Amino acid sequence: MSATTGYFVAGSSWLHARNPLTKLLALGLVLVAAFLLPALALPILAIAMVVAAWTAGLLGPMARAMRIPALLLLSILVVNSLFFPGGTDKLVSVGPLSVTREGLTFGIISAGRVLVAFLASVLFLFTTLADDLLESLITRGASYRISFVVLSAVQLVPRMGSRAAAILEAQQARGLSLQGSLLRRIRALVPLITPVLLGSLVDARERTFALEARGFAARPGRTAYRVVADPPVDRWLRLLIVLGAIGVLLFALGIVPR
Amino acid sequence: MTAGSGTTQPLRIEAMQVKYPARREPSLRDVDLAVAEGEQVAVAGRTGAGKSTLALAAAGFIPRVVRAKVGGRVAIQGRDVTVSSAGDLLGRVGIIFATPANQLSASKLSVREELAFGLENLGMPRDEMDARIDATLARLSIDHLADREPFALSGGEQQRVAIASIVAMGTNVLVLDEPTAQLDPAGTTAVADLLAELARGGATILCVEHDPSVLGRMDRCLVLDGGHPVALAVPGAALADAASTVSLPAPTLVRLAQAAGIDLASAFDEGAIAAGLLATRGRPGMAGEAAQAETTRAWSPSTDRPAVRIAIEDLVHRYPSGIEAVRGVSLVIEPGETVAVLGQNGSGKTTLVKHLNGLLRPAQGRVLLDGQPTQERTIAQLAATVGFVFQNPDEQLFERSVEREVSFGPRNLGVPAATVAERITSSLAAVGLLAERATNPYDLDLSRRKLVALAGVLAMDPAVLVLDEPTTGQDAEGVERVGAVVEAMRLAGRTVVAITHDMEFAASHFGRIVILREGIVVADGPPEQVFAPAGLDLLASTGLTPPPAARVAALMGLEVVPLDADELLRALGAPG
Repeated sequence: MSATTGYFVAGSSWLHARNPLTKLLALGLVLVAAFLLPALALPILAIAMVVAAWTAGLLGPMARAMRIPALLLLSILVVNSLFFPGGTDKLVSVGPLSVTREGLTFGIISAGRVLVAFLASVLFLFTTLADDLLESLITRGASYRISFVVLSAVQLVPRMGSRAAAILEAQQARGLSLQGSLLRRIRALVPLITPVLLGSLVDARERTFALEARGFAARPGRTAYRVVADPPVDRWLRLLIVLGAIGVLLFALGIVPR
Repeated sequence: MTAGSGTTQPLRIEAMQVKYPARREPSLRDVDLAVAEGEQVAVAGRTGAGKSTLALAAAGFIPRVVRAKVGGRVAIQGRDVTVSSAGDLLGRVGIIFATPANQLSASKLSVREELAFGLENLGMPRDEMDARIDATLARLSIDHLADREPFALSGGEQQRVAIASIVAMGTNVLVLDEPTAQLDPAGTTAVADLLAELARGGATILCVEHDPSVLGRMDRCLVLDGGHPVALAVPGAALADAASTVSLPAPTLVRLAQAAGIDLASAFDEGAIAAGLLATRGRPGMAGEAAQAETTRAWSPSTDRPAVRIAIEDLVHRYPSGIEAVRGVSLVIEPGETVAVLGQNGSGKTTLVKHLNGLLRPAQGRVLLDGQPTQERTIAQLAATVGFVFQNPDEQLFERSVEREVSFGPRNLGVPAATVAERITSSLAAVGLLAERATNPYDLDLSRRKLVALAGVLAMDPAVLVLDEPTTGQDAEGVERVGAVVEAMRLAGRTVVAITHDMEFAASHFGRIVILREGIVVADGPPEQVFAPAGLDLLASTGLTPPPAARVAALMGLEVVPLDADELLRALGAPG
């Protein structure tokens, strides 16, 4: 992962070619659908995400990214299967613990919703450059100042990661031990997290000065160097996505009969 | 504007006074300076002398961005910046700071887009941007970087790109605050070349700087002390003057030029110095010029711990990216040795020393401390033996006072409270920060934060002290403090291994020099041998040069290899 491009995977697929706003709206639609629609919609959404990744040549990166939520998904499944309140239909019992049918079902559905949300998010990150999103938002009238600050903050996350690694090294070299009781480990977080925050503040000061010196938001009438493609098909897509989202919401609110 | 005087000099500072709200005394007072078109003026002085304040004021950041009470005025092309808006100053004045990565916009994918960022803010029509970007990159001879990703560049390249993005906006007045402080020698030279090139093209440059190799290339130098201007002349004369009036240690070449009795306008001209010294050689009184070298012993270790022998055997290190940063290094470092590890950025220095305390594990070969492989111990266990001071103090300082910060290491090691208290005092005394024990580390400037980090490791009383770039951003006195710590370690039979880009620091405080090139040791020996004329070709192949005194001695054709001004002058004063 590069410090500037984040999770972006360079390419020229149909997904890369979409306007960032189209993809942002589509991401919103999938998130709304994943959490509001009945469970039956989940396999369809998951398959749609995988097909999208496959046609865009992103199946490999997507599979590798699955390392990130794997543990979370597994724990959602296990915890719900074993401890779902009100679960009575026991499938398997080991000692005092039982897997209930209700728990297993709820676990699968919950994990499915998180999985779909994750897949949609990585597809967005894989195919969208923050800079392009920034330009599209500004073109639509978003505040340049606010958009820039938000997106710079997002882009600083990977850099904070490498900073955190350096801090870990420095504190271990000063004898900080990460082993021992839970309390001890929690205490060890203070010398690790504080420099990340303080150092970022020190950096932020210099960075602010550097932006000032380059005339950031100093004058009205800013122009743009980057040209972000917005093919006609994207306009239709955005319309469809918005209609789709309205449909999902109406359905979820029970206005459209089930 | 007073009688049209502002039009002749693009940067005029008149009776400038700056007082920060939190300080009782002004940080800057009575500064008058006019910088002409095509002129480069350096600002020198100790840490805390007001140099950065002057830079911020000259760039119009005080009081607009940094709040302070201001007296006098700064005029850029006749416009009073103390009352101008950011929009008024756009395209007139720009400022560059020390940390390369922070000078860029943080979001751009290519150098080309980085340069476009300022043009967008100026509101330049898109179809004019490419021509302007290309012209700027060509003018600064960095066209080869156009399509590179800014964050993948070296520090020296990033600083040049940052300067280019200011210049691209049509800005002709440049203010720089220690632009080379974090660069290796090659990067420093490249930035100094760039500034000279800009000045030839008519730019007006004000540059805060410690590095003599950059100072010497400026047209004039303003020396500040305690917020007051104390000298303003050609760099050699100003620095010589400040040495006598406010005891600011003068650079080696300036001291040699004074000893040679040559015009101080040529104080950084090594050939002129060599010729001058040859002409005065053997004249009575020469030896009197050399100050008696005194050994300070500021820090004394608190325990009689056994010394540790380091053995690095056929060490190879491969990063996950597949890059082999260290490619077969074998070194034995005996207890009490002081070793300076030199080499350009990317030569494997940091990778090598990170094996000493287990931060990195060998891909092949091994590292033994007193015969025991580091692989068998954790980093925290090794920390009791090997103290490691990182380059960037902000990646470790976290406590609310200097005192608590320094106690963190020894407390981790389980040192009894009474002993910790003793060690806090002795290690803070060693770095000259005893008066700041209750201060929040982040209220100190970067150079002193570095000394706090050093004190924090000294308080762990390590048998082996590893230093990564300990002198960057330090003034001459700060460098001497670090040097005194190295000396005290040596006298106590401890080992010091330091990575440094400062040849003079390496030569005058270390008994052994190890030079790396592309992950391999290419030179290893005492400084007198490594920096001898016979080794110059090898040295040049690593992008390094001998320290200034040795360079002058080589030009004079001397047999000896002096490591500082005193040694050279003593050698000349000696009979025969």
